[in-house]
Amino acid sequence: MAPSKTKHAEKACVISEGFTVLSLKFKADSDSQHNIFVKEHLVRAGQTPQRPLDTTLFVLNIPPYCSEGTLKEIFSQFGPVKSVELREKPGSFEPSESKLSKYFTPAQKQGFRVGYIVFTNSHSITKAKLHPLNVPLLVSTEQRPVLTGLNKWINQYKQSITEPDKLQKAVDAFMQDYDKEKEQEAERQKEEAEKQQEDEEGWTKVIRGKRGAKARPHTEVANKRVLQKESRKSKELINFYTWQQRNTQKEYIAELRKKFEEDKQRIALLRVQRKFRPY
Amino acid sequence: MKVTDEEPMEQSDSHGEGDEGPTRAKRCKPDGDRILRPVKLSRDDLYKPPTVEELNQLKEAESLFHCNLLKMQMEELLKEVAISEHRKQQIDSFIQSVTELLQKLPQTPHVELSDLSWLTGGVKVPFLLVPKVTKGKFYMAPPTSVTVIGSYPLGTCTKPGISVDVAVTIPAGVLQAKDAVNQSYPRKRALYLAGLAQHLGSSTAIGTMRYSCLHGNRLRPVLLLTPPGSSSFTLRVHVCPPPGYFKPVRLRPDKNNIRTEWYTGLRRPQPDMTEPPTPHYNSSVLGDMLPMAHLQFLKAVSSQCSAFAHGVALLKVWLRQRELDKGAGCFGGFLGSMLLAYLLTSRRVSNHMTPYQLLRNTLHFLASNDLTENGITLAKDPDSTAPSLAEFHNVFQVVFVDPSGHLNMCADMTACTYKQVQHEAALSVQFWDDPTVDGFHALLMTPKPMIRTSDHVFQLCELGKLQATCKNLNLLSELMDRSGNYILTALPFILSLLQRGLGQRIRLLTHSLTPDPEWPVECDAPQHKDQPPVSFGLLLNPDQAATLLERGPPADSSKALEFRQLWGSRSELRRFQDGSITEAVVWEAENTQQKRLILRQIITHLLQLHAGIPESSVRYIAAILDDVIKVGQEECSTGEEESLTVVQSYDDLSRKLWGLEGLPLSITSVQGAHPALRYTQVFPPIPVRLDYTFFDRHPVTRALIPNEDKPCPMYITPIKVICHMEGSGKWPHDKAAIRHIKAAFHITLGQLLAEKYQYTCQPSATHLDVWKDGLVFRIQVAYHREPQILKECLSPEGLLLLRDNEEAQALEMATIHQPVLTSTLHGLQQLHPCFGAVCRLAKRWLGAQLFHDDISEDTADLLVAFIFLQPAPFTPQVCPFTPAEPVLPHTISPRVTPSPPGSSQVGFLRFLRLLSCFDWSNNPLVVNLNNQLTASDYTEIKNDFMASRERLPVMFIATPKDRKLSLWTKQAPSIQILQRIVIVAAQSLKVLEAQLMDPSQMQDVKVIMRPPLDAYDVLIHLNHKQVPTLKQAVDRPRVIYGQGVLRDMAIKTGGALPVIGFNPVTCYLAELRDAFGDLALFFCDPYGGTVIAVLWKPKAFNPVPFKTGQIVARHLGGTGDRTHTVPNVEAILEDFRVMGHGLVKSVEPMTERWVV
Repeated sequence: MAPSKTKHAEKACVISEGFTVLSLKFKADSDSQHNIFVKEHLVRAGQTPQRPLDTTLFVLNIPPYCSEGTLKEIFSQFGPVKSVELREKPGSFEPSESKLSKYFTPAQKQGFRVGYIVFTNSHSITKAKLHPLNVPLLVSTEQRPVLTGLNKWINQYKQSITEPDKLQKAVDAFMQDYDKEKEQEAERQKEEAEKQQEDEEGWTKVIRGKRGAKARPHTEVANKRVLQKESRKSKELINFYTWQQRNTQKEYIAELRKKFEEDKQRIALLRVQRKFRPY
Repeated sequence: MKVTDEEPMEQSDSHGEGDEGPTRAKRCKPDGDRILRPVKLSRDDLYKPPTVEELNQLKEAESLFHCNLLKMQMEELLKEVAISEHRKQQIDSFIQSVTELLQKLPQTPHVELSDLSWLTGGVKVPFLLVPKVTKGKFYMAPPTSVTVIGSYPLGTCTKPGISVDVAVTIPAGVLQAKDAVNQSYPRKRALYLAGLAQHLGSSTAIGTMRYSCLHGNRLRPVLLLTPPGSSSFTLRVHVCPPPGYFKPVRLRPDKNNIRTEWYTGLRRPQPDMTEPPTPHYNSSVLGDMLPMAHLQFLKAVSSQCSAFAHGVALLKVWLRQRELDKGAGCFGGFLGSMLLAYLLTSRRVSNHMTPYQLLRNTLHFLASNDLTENGITLAKDPDSTAPSLAEFHNVFQVVFVDPSGHLNMCADMTACTYKQVQHEAALSVQFWDDPTVDGFHALLMTPKPMIRTSDHVFQLCELGKLQATCKNLNLLSELMDRSGNYILTALPFILSLLQRGLGQRIRLLTHSLTPDPEWPVECDAPQHKDQPPVSFGLLLNPDQAATLLERGPPADSSKALEFRQLWGSRSELRRFQDGSITEAVVWEAENTQQKRLILRQIITHLLQLHAGIPESSVRYIAAILDDVIKVGQEECSTGEEESLTVVQSYDDLSRKLWGLEGLPLSITSVQGAHPALRYTQVFPPIPVRLDYTFFDRHPVTRALIPNEDKPCPMYITPIKVICHMEGSGKWPHDKAAIRHIKAAFHITLGQLLAEKYQYTCQPSATHLDVWKDGLVFRIQVAYHREPQILKECLSPEGLLLLRDNEEAQALEMATIHQPVLTSTLHGLQQLHPCFGAVCRLAKRWLGAQLFHDDISEDTADLLVAFIFLQPAPFTPQVCPFTPAEPVLPHTISPRVTPSPPGSSQVGFLRFLRLLSCFDWSNNPLVVNLNNQLTASDYTEIKNDFMASRERLPVMFIATPKDRKLSLWTKQAPSIQILQRIVIVAAQSLKVLEAQLMDPSQMQDVKVIMRPPLDAYDVLIHLNHKQVPTLKQAVDRPRVIYGQGVLRDMAIKTGGALPVIGFNPVTCYLAELRDAFGDLALFFCDPYGGTVIAVLWKPKAFNPVPFKTGQIVARHLGGTGDRTHTVPNVEAILEDFRVMGHGLVKSVEPMTERWVV
């Protein structure tokens, strides 16, 4: 099923929703190619500085072996690329937890991804969208080979070996920041507490605290415990009055009946499955 | 073929029968109805005033049975085995026509007994004429009577294999009073039967005619008749003498009726020597005269007790499931009826009991009464000529005397068979008392074939060799008594020999009952040696079974001679540490695997020495499968020793960790969390020493790194160890900070270990690798509040909420559940030495069948643990401390000695059986680890399960620590995969059992480890060089690549860090699943599999409208269609190659299986 049966061989291939189809080959001598779908980045709300509307190209179906760097190189043929962002699913921009050092960022899924390519110039987008379908983009070339398979895994393994002192440094740096933050937080709380204290004339200034800044032990578990305590009633005789006894008996019979029904159903089911044949 | 095309789970639908229309109609309901839903009764229904009848019914169910369920189950079962009215009519009319035919038997002229010329039509005499000569006259004459006897008129006849007995009485004129002597009567009987066959053969009312014999007794042949056309019942024609024709006095067990002179054909050397008694021959003649009387007796008893027929039916089902109801010396339905009659007449059970109570009491009676010591009799007031019980005991092993007082109905039964019945009965009673066991299912529905029941099984092939045995053991008179059946003659002697030799090593010795031969009327009776082999089953005593030393009596004691005689040349005098000098036998075994086979050495030695049976005709079936879990190539250890080394090294590490000083917080626990630390790793890690020249080096840390041009280095398993740190206010309350602190701990721990013990350590953010004794331990620091902190989140109102999430679950799994499971299962292994081996076999099988990723290692271990913890209906483990009831000091002694599966093989068979037969959709599998769950917990788990079945995993496993969620099976398997596993397990079990029990099969049991690959859509063949586990393949590869390991070198601590946990195949699989997980499933055998099998998902190829979310690896479909996408198969196949560059040898699309 080669995709290039289309008659619009020389022209760019545009499909519904404004996507343009480009083809992508791993190597020049690969037999088959992937289709990738590109379109200018368009969102109704929430334009972010990282994805300017006029210079961002939205790309679908990027094979797992294309990294940010590779894509940057591939798309450089349409004009200078400012940045490349790869994501598992399309969605609004989220800053990656850049604070964390590489040792603490979790590994990403290596599937097909979507990308946001930000060009320097907006006409690069038009250029990219006019790229003909039958001239595939190449992922791995002589000049910039892309590692896959065994070489990639060996490389990964090599990367995974951490140097203890570098790790230590990363930890120290993070903890320093963390401690500083903690200190600031503590100071702020102290200030707030001070503010709420009585002044010389015996007045307390009631101020609206920040949302969610209540004292710590206000938790769901604690709440539940309190509720439970309240609902626990005082001791009561259960089988004292005649009506109580009658009720208990009624409940008992109802319980038996329910069980009986359940068992009947179970048996019926087993019978259907022929679970009673001892042979 | 797609995964969903598999048939739904069905156990036994191949036995379709005509008369069950309604049941069949019900079965056709859609699959959705297969799942139980909680019952909803309206309020009115629940609270309406009860009628008296209803009250009684409910009460009865409560008090007599555990619950309604059991009562209804029994009723359903009885309905299943009962014969339908329609069938009864067929039977009656067939009996009618046969009777009429028989009445018309023509008379023939008198001939000599040895003259067979009157028999025409190719009909043969169903008798082994040894010795040939007999004197006497014979002629055919119409029978004096034709009566229906046995279970059919009594109403105790059950499906399957309905056989209706008809007794044909020989006219008195054909017989003579002296005929009981020297087989004249049995021969006349056989001739008369042949005459009947000849007469019936000409009729069109008869379908097929075959000969057989009653309970394997060749003196009592029967004729099996079926009506024309396919039929589910057979008519057994017995021939009987007129009642009371022979005098019972002459047939007493101490009388002789076979003369040595006649039997051997030799003149007796001493004419004054008394002839030996022939009790078995006598009782077989006697047995022919009594069926009518027995029927009358049973009819009288059953008319008093309304539940008699049903009680017998249940007992028959019970016996049948245990393979005790057929063959020579069986405990058949007739004995069952007689036993129940005995209990009724002796007032041990009352006439008003229900069938269930009858069965229970019968089993209880069997369990508590030993008929081999104290026989029982049905004779109320026997006449003075009847022998006493003591006389019966002198000649028979098991005694149960019939109402006449002359016949021992258990004459052919061996003591071992009775012991087996007793053992089974005791077990059954015990299971029924245990509320956590589904008694009905375990006792009446589960078949217990010997191969799955006994720990070790061996077979005697070439039964002809037993003739020599009889000669060796000097058994001429017994042989005469058994009319030349040397198998039955030698059997009791072999059994007692084995019993003596194996002694304390075994708990129970059982043997298969020689099946009743069946042969066409045109053939001669088959020879004894053509019988299928006799199988013996051993139930091991795990403490004793593998002892190397057999210590005998002191050299000067009187018993020394006996001991020497038993063991022959193997017995030698030995001096022991306590100074005593005794006779002793020492067996050779180097490792656990060989130790397990010591019994085989003993058995072959004894059989060779005493019975003259060569080793070649003993087929010992145990540990045949162990081959696939053997570690290493040369030595044949099966990994127990290796596991022990790992555990010892771990214990050492754990001690050292505890002893570390200079940590900011102290260590509160060190727990293993890896299968190797509970003896269940399929191939336990082996300590290695590395060849540094084989690897590259990391530029900074100098750690070893695989070289691209060399074969993949040896796979070194990181053994996970969880190290909990003490809780303290110093721990931050923030998840990122905790992770950094943990990393700091990894670094510090590594430094300390390196300084103090010179271990090479490699810290990272998530763990610390320690290279020690040629093994790698991966230490993970844990903080017990971390999962809690991960779950915390703030609501908009500032309320601190606890919300479960994946991250927290994963962490809990790794730091809490896995360590606990590991230590619990480690404990289980200490109790049951073969637990590990069973787990490993089971996991090896799952791996080989490509299910490794669907049933995780932990799940598989839990499944095996279930077999050990709840072996019902097989031999159970004993729980000396039942938490439910207070244990009094004097009741601690266990009733049944411990240990479920006693060998890896039987454990593996039961594992397959569990996988294939468990009803996953309607039942939770409760693994009662450490016996923590009580009966009420079981009910609770079951109710919770029922209430939320749809939301729970398809394979639900509950443990004491995890009652509602089934943590281990949350991710996998899916319903389709589970169905496939069930089917494959059932097939494997069938094939394997056939392979094991049938000596004529080609002995390659590995066939169950080779999955059929033609069911998959694409096969990715891997480059053997880059598969690090190649050596573990089921079929060992011919070429083995160097893996950077030095052989025969002492293991040293320190040195460069090896390549840890580097397996290109797993890397590749992970990438494939990440990229194409939505389109296809990927399967691979982790133990040396060189093929990755790919299966497209059923809906993968449906064109999908173009959507930004669903575009993975797709392209625009078809010609001109610009709105739909389909998978870009060519590019995907290309990607398989690209992504596995260097590992993939070829990608083979099996296009005949699918089209795009």
